[in-house]
Amino acid sequence: MEQPRVGTDIQFAICGSAGDGTIAAGDIMKRAAALMGFKVIAFDIYPPEIRGFGKCISRIRISDAQTYSLKRHSDVLISLNDAHAIPHVGEVRDFGAVLFEDNSIAELPEGGHISAHIRAAQVPYGFGIREISEKATGLARSRNIAALGYAAGLFNMPPGIFHQIIAEKFAKKPRAVTEDNTRAFDAGVEAAARVFKLDDVSVGRPLSAASGADAVMMTGNGAIARGFLEAGIQAYFGYPITPASSIMERMAAALPREGGRFLQTEDEISAIAATLGAGYAGARAATATSGPGLALMTEMMGLGVMAEVPFVVAVSQRGGPSTGLPTKTEQSDLNLAVYGGSGDAQRIVLAPTNVEGCYRCAGMAFEIAETYQTPVVLLVDLYLSNRFETVIPPRKNIFAPKPRKTPKMGKGEEYQRFRLTESGVSPRSIPGEAGLTHTVTGLEHDEIGHPSDRLHNEMNAKRHHKLLPATHFPGLTTQKRFGDSGKVDVGLLGWGSTFGEILETLYTAQGQDIRVAVMKVVMLSPLPVDEIAAFMDDCTHVLVPELNFEGQFANMISGATGRPVTRLTQTTGAPMLVDDILAELHRLIDSPAPPPTSSHRTAEGVRA
Amino acid sequence: MNEHVNPVYLEDKLDEIRADGHLSYRSKSLPTWCPGCGYFSMQEGLTIALNRLGIAKENAVVVSGIGCASRFPFFVDTYGFHTLHGRTMPVATGIKIANDALSVVAIGGDGDAFAIGGGHIPHAARRNVDITYMVFDNGIYGLTKGQTSPTTAQGFKSKTTPYENLDMPLHPLMMLLSYRASWIGQAYAGRPHHLAEMMTQAIAHKGFSYLHILSPCVTFDKTDRTYGKLNMQVHDLSEDHDTSDLIAAMQQASAAEIPALGVYYVEDRPTLSEEMDEISRRARNAPPIAE
Amino acid sequence: MASPLHHVIIGSGSAGFGAAVTLRKGDPDCRISMMTMDSLPFYNRYDLPQIFQGRSDWRDMLAVPPTFFDENRITLRRHNRVVEVDGVARRIRLAHQETVGFDTLLVCSGGRAYVPENLTDKLPLMHGMGSYEAVMRLYRDLPQGGHAIFIGGDMIGIDLMLMLVKTGYSVTLITTPQTLWPHEVSDEKRGKILAALADKGVTVVDSARPVGIDAGSDQGAARVVTLEDGTEINGDVVVPACGLVASVEFMLRAGVDIERGLLVNPELGTSNEAIWAAGDVCQIWNDEDKVYQFCHGWKNVRIMGELAAGNMQGTHRDFDVRVEDRIDLDEAGNIVSTFWEH
Repeated sequence: MEQPRVGTDIQFAICGSAGDGTIAAGDIMKRAAALMGFKVIAFDIYPPEIRGFGKCISRIRISDAQTYSLKRHSDVLISLNDAHAIPHVGEVRDFGAVLFEDNSIAELPEGGHISAHIRAAQVPYGFGIREISEKATGLARSRNIAALGYAAGLFNMPPGIFHQIIAEKFAKKPRAVTEDNTRAFDAGVEAAARVFKLDDVSVGRPLSAASGADAVMMTGNGAIARGFLEAGIQAYFGYPITPASSIMERMAAALPREGGRFLQTEDEISAIAATLGAGYAGARAATATSGPGLALMTEMMGLGVMAEVPFVVAVSQRGGPSTGLPTKTEQSDLNLAVYGGSGDAQRIVLAPTNVEGCYRCAGMAFEIAETYQTPVVLLVDLYLSNRFETVIPPRKNIFAPKPRKTPKMGKGEEYQRFRLTESGVSPRSIPGEAGLTHTVTGLEHDEIGHPSDRLHNEMNAKRHHKLLPATHFPGLTTQKRFGDSGKVDVGLLGWGSTFGEILETLYTAQGQDIRVAVMKVVMLSPLPVDEIAAFMDDCTHVLVPELNFEGQFANMISGATGRPVTRLTQTTGAPMLVDDILAELHRLIDSPAPPPTSSHRTAEGVRA
Repeated sequence: MNEHVNPVYLEDKLDEIRADGHLSYRSKSLPTWCPGCGYFSMQEGLTIALNRLGIAKENAVVVSGIGCASRFPFFVDTYGFHTLHGRTMPVATGIKIANDALSVVAIGGDGDAFAIGGGHIPHAARRNVDITYMVFDNGIYGLTKGQTSPTTAQGFKSKTTPYENLDMPLHPLMMLLSYRASWIGQAYAGRPHHLAEMMTQAIAHKGFSYLHILSPCVTFDKTDRTYGKLNMQVHDLSEDHDTSDLIAAMQQASAAEIPALGVYYVEDRPTLSEEMDEISRRARNAPPIAE
Repeated sequence: MASPLHHVIIGSGSAGFGAAVTLRKGDPDCRISMMTMDSLPFYNRYDLPQIFQGRSDWRDMLAVPPTFFDENRITLRRHNRVVEVDGVARRIRLAHQETVGFDTLLVCSGGRAYVPENLTDKLPLMHGMGSYEAVMRLYRDLPQGGHAIFIGGDMIGIDLMLMLVKTGYSVTLITTPQTLWPHEVSDEKRGKILAALADKGVTVVDSARPVGIDAGSDQGAARVVTLEDGTEINGDVVVPACGLVASVEFMLRAGVDIERGLLVNPELGTSNEAIWAAGDVCQIWNDEDKVYQFCHGWKNVRIMGELAAGNMQGTHRDFDVRVEDRIDLDEAGNIVSTFWEH
């Protein structure tokens, strides 16, 4: 059982306009915190616009103990642009700090300055951010770093670590950039030394025994890329799409160094087609996309299922349908990922719940795909793709591929690519292997692979049953229960990024004398039904919070187990709030029987 | 004037064919094409070409889309992938990228290539992925029983153009020339020896080779692209055509209603795999790019 | 319906706070904005010496919980420096380039510490006592049992001095003409009060003019005050306690009458009908003596704020300038001053 948190648990929010260096400042902060040995979870929100307009906000939670989501209330807000930061003042907790420019050079309308919006219980720190930068570097460009220095000074964080991160961050730029930013940082620290600290935010020494040097700061997408690389990915094909592009960009940079091959294709169809082609030819191949791209890929996914070709598709969901909300998070492509396509096309779908999970699932995805000869979908969402967490990867690569075994044929035995075996898994040869030539097809086929509808039912059964053992794949957490054991008042079932908030809800609820347990489901297809059903047996109420309108996971659970669940859905483009889950949890406890109800923030009573 | 001609005996001829070895590239499955279909000569042509080039069966991968022509992989004994409608190019690209040692031959009909699959061809061509693309062009959707395709002639009546086809047909050779496919040629199903030779050259070419193959559909086209008409119209490219001259190739391609048979354009430039190896070399010599 | 009036208050001391509360009581719909350079929500300045008794957390110092401002819809704008007031266009300009319009303006900007002219360049070496943060700095910089040197001995300073000697520090008072400010007393009474201070443990250096303040060496005293006769006094901190001067610089172009402070009628209105003033910043018309006079003292300041706010909303009440102004010793020999009443 998780102990109540002590020590440091601070959330910074840095808000500015695109071009203010908001995300860069946040990046330095999170990397510095990680190097100090803290656990870090961070999430950046940036506008679709390239530069000049639009809000950027970087939220960074640093703590001694592992946390699972961002906090609703930040402890510190740093405004690099008041117009954007003003709506976020409210998220700063009482006696938390708001850092802002008190020497603007632009004319502001009434209320245009953040000081008009800071509540009395919050602590204002107005200072000349621009002036500090200009004095230190001659330019206003390092305002972001000056503000960061001020924060580091105010909260007593060691400047040396920041110097190191700044040097690393700007290593590619001319040396003057590192020097200027270091000067601006130090000037910020110095300015903070002169102010009187009134907030009660304090960054202590990290409790974590793990040294900061072993911890790697990764985004979900970065973790997926790293998992792919450690698993020996040989070919990556992709087409740019928010919020999956950073996987592709990482592959473009890293894969050729490993001797692997990277290709930006002409569209998502060709991306998955080439991935399937490479997988068919025996390579570890992957692509990544978002909902709209996955919609284009579904036909090829079906071919992968039919022709039993192993490959991996990472999907980072955003708001939908259609082009939807490209820069907002949502979990509404579950149905598409699990069911999308024609016919009965069951595939394996893994939905990690945190950044480390992204790393592990991506690292194991190829082996799973190869074991069951089927496409594997790695389903994440923008919130998980873009949020940073500290991960301590194992020192030894645990995902490296094992040598392939060529099928052995008896004398005179005819090779049957799709032989009906007990496990459903047939011997698979790849081009180049002599004596095993065959043709695979998207048509229903016989055991040899020739078009035939004679064995359709048997082949459907084979393609279905061969996947079922995947729910107990060695070394993979396909589901896990947390919280109270035995009978509980409320059980929360969660998947994907929302599970972070669910886990935080659990820890909050446990302090409130409620019997509660949660289960994360990582393998969404095939579903670990037995474990889910056993969990539900223990729960008076089952609550399923998720970020889509219909309750797609709830429908899936309900359908698979034949039992009622309570939906908690939300499509605001933002992660679900712990408070909202908690409120629903209390509502359930106060309600007498477990009715199959739904709760939707924006449209009450849409479902019953 | 007639010279004495030695008689050819069937058994001798069969022995000769068996000894040649190309039959071993045939699969047990008999083709499902209509009797008289031009595609039979293509099956023969490809087996001859692979045999001549000494490509082991297991190192050849025939990739096709959907359509009459795309049934092809089932009738040869190599590795084969009968994929989705219009997607031969990216699947073949993925296979080649995964294993340079494979000889990858993509096969499709005119609808598979230029209707649903038209978006992929320029990219395969410009990247110069080292595969061979053979389009069997009969100007009709045969598998779905006779609808017009993007290469169907104007004025043609079909089930989907009962009042005649008024759309201008595409010009595949001009398209591929403008995409700068690094090998472009045309053959005709009615001239099987020439076809086999062209297939051999196309597969031997390093880079993206495009072979356009004119073929009648004996079932659904009784009027337009018939053996009779094609036999009258096909002719060879002039011997002095310079295959390194792209503009000349375009002039030749647009000179007649039925363009000449032969090799239009050949260019030696790095293949996609070679480019990727170059990228790998640069990446290894460059400092790592931070995440 | 007319849009609600916007009352802007400059200053968040007891005058400003009292005014804000009164304004809200009088008009539930009006907008109230308080502009202050301070960092804290409202606290009573007279409580500050208690920091030396351990009441050092600012949250304990607050006179009302922070939620009071939210509940009463008082926009408290801290770290805001007003640089200019336009009395005609009725708007104020803040240092961060924001312009804020008002329907009525109440100036309660108080006063800042007066420093003898020959010592103004030594300000960085002195410790103020006008705000929570200032007194906290003093508290931090003064070692346990350390020595504080007060220049002048105004009533704010004497209050703090008495606390310091009570809590184990040593205090030297170098008198100036402003000693006992704002009280004006006879030499005899002055002597009695100084003697009482000495009796409490304050070292009184009378009739000696300080001419220099220097930072001491690392090993020795932190501060060295040099007197006109060359005498040097070593201490840890130097506190100017020579009374207050009205903070009116930002009002110079407001188009209202100013002498040393803002000149107001007994209703606390300035020469601009939309602008009012209360507290240590204003000089009030004394119709009897035909002079404008300051009325310092914690209680006066608070009453002025409340009264000005009422008048801004249409009541017509005069501030009685004949306030009691008395300093004395009680039977036990303790100093009692009307300044300190609150």
